Amino acid sequence: MSSPQKRSLRKMLVKRSINVVVTIFGIMTLNFALIHLMPGDPILNMVPRDPKLDPAVKESLIDKFNLDAGLLERYVTYMWKTITLDWGTSYSTMRPVWDVISYDMRWTILLIGTATFFTLIIGMAIGAMAAYRRGGAFDLVSTGTGLFFYGMPIFWFAMLLQEAFNSQLFGMNWWPQLPGGSYYDIVEYGPVFEWKLGLVLSVLEHLILPSLTLAIASFAGVALVMRGSLVDVMTDDYILTAKAKGLTDYQILRRHALPNGMPPMVALIAMSVAFIIGGAYQIEYVFNYPGIGYRTINAIWDLDFPILQFVVVVGGVAVVIANLLADIVLIYIDPRINLV
Amino acid sequence: MTQPDNGQNKRASEIRSEVRREKLRLLISRSKRVTRDVLKNPMGLIGTAILIFFMFIAVFGTYLAPYKVDATKPGLFDSYLPSSSEHWMGTDVFGHDIFSKLLYGARTSIVVGTFAAVIASVVGATVGLFSGYAGGWKDEVLMRINDVMLSIPWLVLMILIAGLIGTISLLIIILIIGLTGWSATARLVRAQVLSLRERQYIERAKAIGAGDLHIIKTHILPNSFPLVFANTILTVAISILSEATLSFLHMRPYGSVTWGTMLSYAYECSAFQLGLHYWIVMPGLCIVFLVLGFTLLGYALDEVLNPRLRKR
Repeated sequence: MSSPQKRSLRKMLVKRSINVVVTIFGIMTLNFALIHLMPGDPILNMVPRDPKLDPAVKESLIDKFNLDAGLLERYVTYMWKTITLDWGTSYSTMRPVWDVISYDMRWTILLIGTATFFTLIIGMAIGAMAAYRRGGAFDLVSTGTGLFFYGMPIFWFAMLLQEAFNSQLFGMNWWPQLPGGSYYDIVEYGPVFEWKLGLVLSVLEHLILPSLTLAIASFAGVALVMRGSLVDVMTDDYILTAKAKGLTDYQILRRHALPNGMPPMVALIAMSVAFIIGGAYQIEYVFNYPGIGYRTINAIWDLDFPILQFVVVVGGVAVVIANLLADIVLIYIDPRINLV
Repeated sequence: MTQPDNGQNKRASEIRSEVRREKLRLLISRSKRVTRDVLKNPMGLIGTAILIFFMFIAVFGTYLAPYKVDATKPGLFDSYLPSSSEHWMGTDVFGHDIFSKLLYGARTSIVVGTFAAVIASVVGATVGLFSGYAGGWKDEVLMRINDVMLSIPWLVLMILIAGLIGTISLLIIILIIGLTGWSATARLVRAQVLSLRERQYIERAKAIGAGDLHIIKTHILPNSFPLVFANTILTVAISILSEATLSFLHMRPYGSVTWGTMLSYAYECSAFQLGLHYWIVMPGLCIVFLVLGFTLLGYALDEVLNPRLRKR
């Protein structure tokens, strides 16, 4: 790489990084605004509405977030506490919010990671096949199925799969039965996670149904974009040249079309992180999989606002980081990319 | 300069009305052509057929329903009656007829989806238009705000807002979905405006002294409209899904029958264990097909209105 290119690359990375910081700052501010500028008393929003609550706990919460101070002072306190991960106490569990969220986060990342892996494999394979045999039967069927899954409420699909694979109801014992809830066999291994072989296997077994549900529900987007970008590439002139050279269709797909069809895919993966997080929330609720989504939905019922507001921050930051990573990957796989 | 006399004035107004008539004629012939092209497209045809079916149910469903449903009151029947000739799909936990509820739900879904999508499109198009046309620091600020909106997972944001508001009505659901869902549209419109702004005819219009407002009104808006229109139809599909998801996660609009709400209660009452399969299967299928209808029509419109895609 020549030096002016390197310079503009560095310039772009600096610009992107500044954008990331600004966006995270914006997410935190929006979050503050939601809690403090919405109709209703912010103290009531931040402090449990439970009348039986110990007044001392309430005092300490008000004290901690400076809740009886002016708006600006509250904002400064909030920003500082957020950056230093001092997120207060969740009052449904009476544990520090950061501890609760960071523990749940591991399980959600495991679920989302596994699901994304399957989504990409299923989606890209089907998309590539459909583009390869464009207009054929496979293309029609896969695009149709893809659109069907795309329009499907994920929670509904989760309910159906849970019923199909985790029910003794219809005497379907011959059918493979999978655990339909929790993240491992708590009855056998106890509530504290340890690195034991049996326990890890139990985790994997419990992961199959939720992660596959999430993957099947979200592969359609990947397949449609993969197909679209490959079809775009396949109509380019150099593909014709490759054909004229006598390469087989498979060689063209593998060596020419796939590498050039990748950039839109990487951008899509980053963008679908937000979608997959939304899907994971529904899956966790239906399968009783105790990750962040499950925690959030319970927090709504308990009106546990300390948990709720920082879940927004965590989700937003995750998406921003995914996008930054995608940008960096894009620069590596596509040197033509606009560097400014 | 002399004042134009009466004859000239009359002539000018005649020309103006003729221009107006001609524009209307063009608009009608163009919409006819678009409709024909959409119906020629297999996706567009299937999508339109599905939507006509659901529109029919949305309008007449409450009259076709075998029993009246008032979601604010318990129903007239026993809970959990199995399916029979009186109750095709059985009755739910409140003693409402499930089939009747299904018919009632079509209207709510379409109303929520359409209004939320229109709000999202109007806000998104306005932001995108202003951002793309103004450029400079205004564009930068708006796009950073847009980044924030795009980054926060939509479901989490909607859940937080719904949780803060507490009691939820249908109007609030529409507002939440509409006001959190505009950022993708804004980005799309901005990109379109940026490319339009560089076209020569805009430069020519500027050279003969056209104001910004005039250029936006006569050149940019009409040229971005097809894009926004196709996008709105696709947004309706997403809004319907959002409503169902929010309802399912207990943010149910009070007093309204929605498919999401039905599924939410069906899940809590373990409808499968009770043998009431329709209670879970049917509302879900309705959502899938309604969303499918809007998605197919949206894609078809996009193909017809945005010729860049036509070669595919």
